[in-house]
Amino acid sequence: MTDLRIGGLVKCYDPPARVLDGLDLTVPAGLLAAVLGPSGCGKTTLLRVVAGFLRADAGTVELGGRVVCGPGVHLPPERRRVGIVPQEGALFPHLSVAANVAFGLTGTGRAERRRRTGEMLELVGLPGYGGRMPHELSGGQQQRVAVARALAPAPDLVLLDEPFNALDSALRAGVRADVRAALRATGATGLLVTHDQQEALSTADLVAVLRDGRVAQCGTPEEVYRRPVDLWVAGFVGDAVFLPATVEDGTAATPLGRIPLAGDRRGSGGVVVLRPEQLVLGPAGTRGTVVDVRFYGHDAMVHVAVDGLDEPVAVRVPGPAGVRPGEEAAVSVTGEATLHPR
Amino acid sequence: MPANRSSSPGAGRRPSPLLVGWACAAAALALLPLVYLGLRALEHGPAHAWRIAVTGRTLELLVRSLGLAVVVVAACLVIGVSLAWLTVRTALPGARTWSVLATLPLAVPSYVAAFAWISTEPGLAGFAGAALALTLVSYPYVYLPVAAALRGLDPAQEEAARSLGHGPLRTFRRVTLPQLRPAAAGGGLLVALYVLSDFGAVSIMRYETFTRAIFTAYRASFDRTPAAALGCVLVVMTVLLVWAEARTRGRAGHARTGGGSARRASSARLGRLRWAALGWCSAVAAAGVVFPLGTLGYWLTAGRSGAWEPGRLLETAGATLAVAAAGAALTTALALPVGILAARHRGRVAHLLEQAAYAGHAVPGITVALAMVFLAVRYAYPIYQEPPLLVLCYAVLFLPVAVAATRAAVLQSPPVLEDVARSLGDSPLRVLRRVTVPLAAPGIAAGAALTFVVCMKELPATLLLRPTGMDTLATRLWAETTTASYAAAAPYAAVLILIAAVPSYLLGRRRA
Amino acid sequence: MGTTTSRFAALAAAALLAPALAACGGQGQEAAAGAPAAAARQAAPLVVYSGRDEALVAPLLDKLERSIGGEVEVRYGDSAELAAQLLEEGDKSEADLFLSQDAGALGALAQQGRLEPLPQGSLDKVGRAYRAADGTWVGLSGRARVIAYNPGKIAKPPAGVRELTRPEWRGKVGYAPTNASFQAFVTGMRVLDGDDATRTWLKDFKANDPKAYEKNSAILDAVDSGEIAVGLINHYYWYEKAAEVGADKMTAKLHFPAKGDPGALVNVAGVGVVKGSDQAATAGKAVDYLLSAEAQTYFADKTKEYPLAAGVTSDVEGLPPLESLGAPEIDLGKLSSLQQTLAMLQETGMV
Repeated sequence: MTDLRIGGLVKCYDPPARVLDGLDLTVPAGLLAAVLGPSGCGKTTLLRVVAGFLRADAGTVELGGRVVCGPGVHLPPERRRVGIVPQEGALFPHLSVAANVAFGLTGTGRAERRRRTGEMLELVGLPGYGGRMPHELSGGQQQRVAVARALAPAPDLVLLDEPFNALDSALRAGVRADVRAALRATGATGLLVTHDQQEALSTADLVAVLRDGRVAQCGTPEEVYRRPVDLWVAGFVGDAVFLPATVEDGTAATPLGRIPLAGDRRGSGGVVVLRPEQLVLGPAGTRGTVVDVRFYGHDAMVHVAVDGLDEPVAVRVPGPAGVRPGEEAAVSVTGEATLHPR
Repeated sequence: MPANRSSSPGAGRRPSPLLVGWACAAAALALLPLVYLGLRALEHGPAHAWRIAVTGRTLELLVRSLGLAVVVVAACLVIGVSLAWLTVRTALPGARTWSVLATLPLAVPSYVAAFAWISTEPGLAGFAGAALALTLVSYPYVYLPVAAALRGLDPAQEEAARSLGHGPLRTFRRVTLPQLRPAAAGGGLLVALYVLSDFGAVSIMRYETFTRAIFTAYRASFDRTPAAALGCVLVVMTVLLVWAEARTRGRAGHARTGGGSARRASSARLGRLRWAALGWCSAVAAAGVVFPLGTLGYWLTAGRSGAWEPGRLLETAGATLAVAAAGAALTTALALPVGILAARHRGRVAHLLEQAAYAGHAVPGITVALAMVFLAVRYAYPIYQEPPLLVLCYAVLFLPVAVAATRAAVLQSPPVLEDVARSLGDSPLRVLRRVTVPLAAPGIAAGAALTFVVCMKELPATLLLRPTGMDTLATRLWAETTTASYAAAAPYAAVLILIAAVPSYLLGRRRA
Repeated sequence: MGTTTSRFAALAAAALLAPALAACGGQGQEAAAGAPAAAARQAAPLVVYSGRDEALVAPLLDKLERSIGGEVEVRYGDSAELAAQLLEEGDKSEADLFLSQDAGALGALAQQGRLEPLPQGSLDKVGRAYRAADGTWVGLSGRARVIAYNPGKIAKPPAGVRELTRPEWRGKVGYAPTNASFQAFVTGMRVLDGDDATRTWLKDFKANDPKAYEKNSAILDAVDSGEIAVGLINHYYWYEKAAEVGADKMTAKLHFPAKGDPGALVNVAGVGVVKGSDQAATAGKAVDYLLSAEAQTYFADKTKEYPLAAGVTSDVEGLPPLESLGAPEIDLGKLSSLQQTLAMLQETGMV
């Protein structure tokens, strides 16, 4: 069991512009952390530095107390014990599935190699697939083999580079769950790079939101979702409702009424953030007009224009919406909001 | 656990020192003839060399040589690209057969092609004949890489262009052609260098070029300084050409980033153009393959002197196979690091190494051979006029052919596979052995086959460096044609073309 | 695709293996052959660099080996290229004897001090005009420049080459400007008439619209068929063709220009002993053999060239005796100074 500690990591391709700008991140042993950020935020660079494909300009990367990257230290990738699962799997097309999985199992006996390969394929739900060639597998199967290949040498850390991107959504959830289970089973620490909020929140134990080469917020998925540190993070990790507010007696006065505030934030005013599922359509509440309805199957998003707000607010409604654009509706709020400076 | 200090700079994307060292050795070998040229050119002082090299005559030869190179390259591009497109991307009837036929002219030595043409139509002598003969033997240098690139292209882009309102021709011009540019430019460079260094076709067609002037200088003056001075000018020209090609190639990598294999493109329907397409393919095949073979057949039956010795033919063929195979193996081994560095590391060192590999290629075979004589007699006497020296000389002459093939092959496989292998515990060299080379193997083997063919056809260096008493098919062919015994020469030419046709055939069939 | 790839890999593997196997075999042979060779130094073969072609030289080898009592190894190539190779090899050359197609290449080697002086006895077998002034090489056979003509086309052949610039020969003459024999003839003209006169002649000749051919044999064929009326060639091409098709079937006839005409040049193919040869004595014996009646007659029969050794005459029917030719008296070694000739030919746009 190995933890990952990254401290003050800096990387410039084109000085002085910094792609990684003093990045700090700690992942406790055995947990899966998602690095979430928009494209260009430096998440792929972070992954390549941790893997050892790029040299950092400053900062350290420690694996279980072992400095793999630091001042005067640059351990080559093959000596880091860091496995990677690239986008689209990147299986070796000239090798069978078994040979792919066994690729990193050097210095072990043939029998042990075969046992471990079988074990890994079983772990990712593909027992008996060893004899196939990569092009005979579906995308999801290729991705599972890539995970088995990365896990086979029992690495201290596994890096997953947007591994589920190429999969269709029906398949994605299943593969994601299996990968997570496989990681848990081997006890490896994991770092998942993604730009997909759903994926980060649903798969990871820990979510680190990256912005401009730094970690803007790091916490459990719930923390990051429920208690975003600022408006940008709030907007990035999920759908959000922003309401102007003034603070009175620990509650926020907003166009949707008074809302209790989470945490001990104090101030005279600012913007409060709610999630659409905290808003409820009902007979009581602030009155407004439905301007748009988007149906997603398991739920629907109803956009309601309310007096005193420039933009309509989004309300998540379970099941069919039951209202149509142009109709009147009343909006009320449940739970707490977070307050942020304007 | 204590921090491990990285002792090697081989980490990250930096190339392994062993790879760089190996590539440096290859480049140094390729630069040997230049050392000799410099020494010989400056024998009587720089002023003397300058006086010889910088004259109106030099300028005229430069214009004549470049003119020929431009016309041949242009013709090769037209033939090579059109045949590649027709055989790979259209519903051409018999595409497989055509793709093999399109590759076969590789097996025909330029002097045989030129001789076949001029003996049939003496009026071709001069620029037209030289351009015709050289185009017909060298267009496969363009056809092969372009066909390979066409197979690797993602058809989705062309479909997107069609959906945006572009017709097939416009799509080809605006979407397909730009992506074929690196392959076409690489092939075009090899053709240009081939034209610059060719002696056989231009001498038979009586078209004075730089290389012919160099040969004449050796023959006429028995003074090696003028030939060396002219050779230096040729080297400068080569460097400029290589530089120009590198500019054309630009920074565009053409590796597919995804790991999966691209969808196969559907074949374009030719409709009524089918007959025109078939006519074009037939015309090229007739001129490039059928005509020289037919001429050989005519020699066999109608020649004046008909001594034909199967035993000797067999022995000669065996010797040719051995030296050409060894030449191809050594050339490929030396080209490997240079091609990999050129494909994977775009630094200045990699670029310089690749340039160096090309530097000696446009120098005529006689000059490279004399350089090897000069150096071997002084520093490697035990191998002088032994097979190893001949094989080494082949490597110097044909390194670029193998480098181009290796580079293209390595570019075809996504670099992420190498990253994965590193992360699974492989050192850079192990990655080379377990991933890079196996993945590029078909392309590298194709390069080796191509090198094998050109080694088999090589004449001027073989004449000087072969062990005394050893013959290759090319030297026998030369010996018989100098005494005008065409009937005796024909079997050697036929066997030469037949053996060379085997790898050419495989090259043509590859993934066709 | 899979099967093709693996087939290809197999082919590549075979290609890679072949040289390794060949190298093993080669080494074995060498190791086996090395010991006795070192023990018996005298058994080392006489190495001949031959600019004369194999079809001509190879049949002579057995007799030569018997005559010198040792093995002979021949390396064939172009005379000029072999000369360049000998110059690069310098004193490390393994060559003992150099057989050259023309006097120029021998002259060039002599000038660089790469030939041993021959014993006077060998030199004296050949007329002074056909050997090196400094005694480093000796001619083996003579090749006369002639004018071939088609009697059906013209009543009377031109008397000499100087006449060919006249309007009556306009468009009627064939020549081989890139051929060494033509270039040697021009060099001879320069030695004889001077550079200015030669340059003027070349210009006028070119202006008279002659037809260029690559080879002498092609010129003769063209004269024979009536394509052209007159051709500048070496004499033996006619006699070779006559021997093959029958003299009575030949339409073309030969005219040997009179003395004083540069077109009457007689060039030689010759031999020299390479400097530093470890077998100079054997090489000397070989030279003497090549000048023997047997070898000289062989050359004369086979090539229709003139035998040069005193006392040997050609059996070729209809060949005028060498002494009757009007060969200009020039030092053939000087034919090595081709550079100026080439410059002139380039100036006039002939090559």
